[in-house]
Amino acid sequence: MNYGPLLFLGILFTLAASWTGLVVMPTKQLGALQPDLNTNTSVVFPKPLPGEAAQGRELYRSLGCNYCHTQQVRREGFGSDIARGWGKRGSVARDYIYDRPVFLGSSRTGPDLTNIGERQPSYEWHYSHLYNPQTTSKGSVMPPYAFLFELRPIGPEGPSTNSVKLGGEFAPKAGYEVLPKPEAKQLVEYLRSLKSSVELPEAPLPKSE
Amino acid sequence: MGVITFILMGSSLAFPAVALYALWWAGREGQLRHSEKAALLPFDEQEPVGQMTDVVLNRPSAPAGSLKS
Amino acid sequence: MAALSPRGTATSDARAQLAEIDESCRGSVLLFFLSGMAWLLAGSVFALIASYKLHAPDFLGDFAWLTFGRIRTAHLNAVIYGFSAEISVGVILWMMCRLCRVPLMAQSVINLAALLWNFGLTIGIIGILAGDTTGVEYLELPKYCTPILFLAFALIAVWTIVIFRFRREKHLYVSQWYILAAVLWFPWLYSTAQLLLIMDPARGAVQAAVNWWFAHNVLGLWFTPVGLASIYYFLPKVIGRPIHSYYLSVLGFWTLALFYNWNGFHHLVGGPFPAWMITISIVASVMMVIPVVATAINHHFTMVGHFGKMRHSPTLRFIFIGAIAYTASSLQGVLSSVRWFSETAHFTHHTVAHAHWGMYAFFTMTMFGAMYYILPRITQREWPSDGLISLHFWTTLVGIAMYVLPLSLGGWFQGKAMLDPQIPFLEVVKITLPYLKIRTVSGLLLTLGHVAFFVNIAWLLVRTFGPYRAPEPMILAGVGTGNAPVGK
Repeated sequence: MNYGPLLFLGILFTLAASWTGLVVMPTKQLGALQPDLNTNTSVVFPKPLPGEAAQGRELYRSLGCNYCHTQQVRREGFGSDIARGWGKRGSVARDYIYDRPVFLGSSRTGPDLTNIGERQPSYEWHYSHLYNPQTTSKGSVMPPYAFLFELRPIGPEGPSTNSVKLGGEFAPKAGYEVLPKPEAKQLVEYLRSLKSSVELPEAPLPKSE
Repeated sequence: MGVITFILMGSSLAFPAVALYALWWAGREGQLRHSEKAALLPFDEQEPVGQMTDVVLNRPSAPAGSLKS
Repeated sequence: MAALSPRGTATSDARAQLAEIDESCRGSVLLFFLSGMAWLLAGSVFALIASYKLHAPDFLGDFAWLTFGRIRTAHLNAVIYGFSAEISVGVILWMMCRLCRVPLMAQSVINLAALLWNFGLTIGIIGILAGDTTGVEYLELPKYCTPILFLAFALIAVWTIVIFRFRREKHLYVSQWYILAAVLWFPWLYSTAQLLLIMDPARGAVQAAVNWWFAHNVLGLWFTPVGLASIYYFLPKVIGRPIHSYYLSVLGFWTLALFYNWNGFHHLVGGPFPAWMITISIVASVMMVIPVVATAINHHFTMVGHFGKMRHSPTLRFIFIGAIAYTASSLQGVLSSVRWFSETAHFTHHTVAHAHWGMYAFFTMTMFGAMYYILPRITQREWPSDGLISLHFWTTLVGIAMYVLPLSLGGWFQGKAMLDPQIPFLEVVKITLPYLKIRTVSGLLLTLGHVAFFVNIAWLLVRTFGPYRAPEPMILAGVGTGNAPVGK
């Protein structure tokens, strides 16, 4: 009686099965997806992120934004993602081909961000919201990212053009202004780049717009 | 796509089938018999079946001090 | 090596052998237990900060390294790769040696693995707090520390197999099946995930697929087997009655091996994937009913008629809670994987509650139970304080119930509200707040329990190595534990 070989065989074969099914097969089916060239609009989608947004994406990773925000829109009829304006169409695998890592996310403590660039195109809104989410979204549980900004005395030529507009309890002390550090700019560029408005053959936009 | 699906379905059936075969083979070879005997493996003469081995709280008999003698 | 020579099974040998095995394990197992406990305390602090931040977001808001996204991640990695993994290794080694009836050989190999593991993990956690996370869930440890962890784990896996190879008991117990499977599965999982996600990331959505194949399997193919191996060993051992049906335990093992590793994609329900991928995981998740029910019948039928023994045995208390939680959380997991349930519960705090149900109420409680059994035996000393044991048990039991039940419910309400597009998102956030506050309170209770346990262990060690030498323990000598009607 020797269970050894039997055990080893069984243990390895069972994992090999799921390895084939859940790792090798998806790689074969989805690993070679290419961007789509729309012949009507000659728009290529998706495209790699431009420099500053790509740097912002690294900050998104580093700060762990993906633990509270998903970037995936569930199709019409499964959840209320589209009704909430989180995207115009359901997400498909091709949307993610340039993402390293992929930020699908697993929790919606905050709203989905697939379409945040369309929903909130304004720099002003993003800076204010990142500095302290309470400025734009009272009651939010998102942490403040004031450490991405700096407090500086206003120079002789008056407030800088890109100083963050903050009112009430959030306003800086007199004679000072809040300016975004380069990191804040990068993060906002990334957020503004997130749009779900381009259709793909496998994911058309709804007809009635 | 058809080939991939075929390979996938094939492998997802084949690998478990091998594992099931291994299980069946084990049964045929008598490796699963005397199952009661295998269940006795954690026990021995020193700590036989029927003896509780972890009495820490609310000790039943004499006070703890005398037990430690 | 002495282990090479087969030994007789003469009656007089057996006892010496148990004590000899326990003693051989002392240094290495203690090393793993103590560093695991240190990670548990660190992880508890991280958890408290993260939990508090989720209803008081300005708390410690000025420090980038303490921001929610990082401290939450530091918590997860400290308790998974620190506490859970290290305690697992200690328990595995001791159980393997006992069931193989061999002393632990060349302890320095294991000690080296422990040092490497702790070194790699410390660098990794600091890296996460500094912002070097990989951003891949359950695999956040930066790539400059994972090779160290892999090396440490490889040593442990090889050594577990070496112990098995030199076993003096020819027959295998079901716990050994689970342990061998776990140590063979994990390196495969970890190396595949590291390769396809961190070293040379696969294209786009494939990463998410590999990610969840790994993340679900690290729970199902590492922690679950270790937890079940422990229940299968300690439950019969403590109450002095063989497992209800050995056949069922074999069936449970093979069906778990067959179905569990296909489950991962139920985390991707509704995601950007072809339907077959999701469906195959849902089917496999539902099939998990077979091993879960087989295991549940086995555990609970073994226990029937012996409940009174929980009065005396801390191990039995924790293991019993662990066994019940395994059944409950597995069945709840089956439910969660189904599409209609997932539509609501996915992306909510319900998932977080489920994770703690499995990793804490089942796995951690089981590991606590195992440690209560192993520590007095390897140190040859008794637990110094009954009061601390009770405090540990009740705070963690009440704490985890207070965590899991309200948050599961709160997560469900959150999901229901999110499904209604008329409810503004900030209203949804407001719905979750009371449950998040209860969670912080439960975190305090759990931390109190962990501290109580840690103090008891430290006290035990003072007795072991300190100047005061307590008398030989009665737990081992069997005094008062014989066939006397203990409890029942």
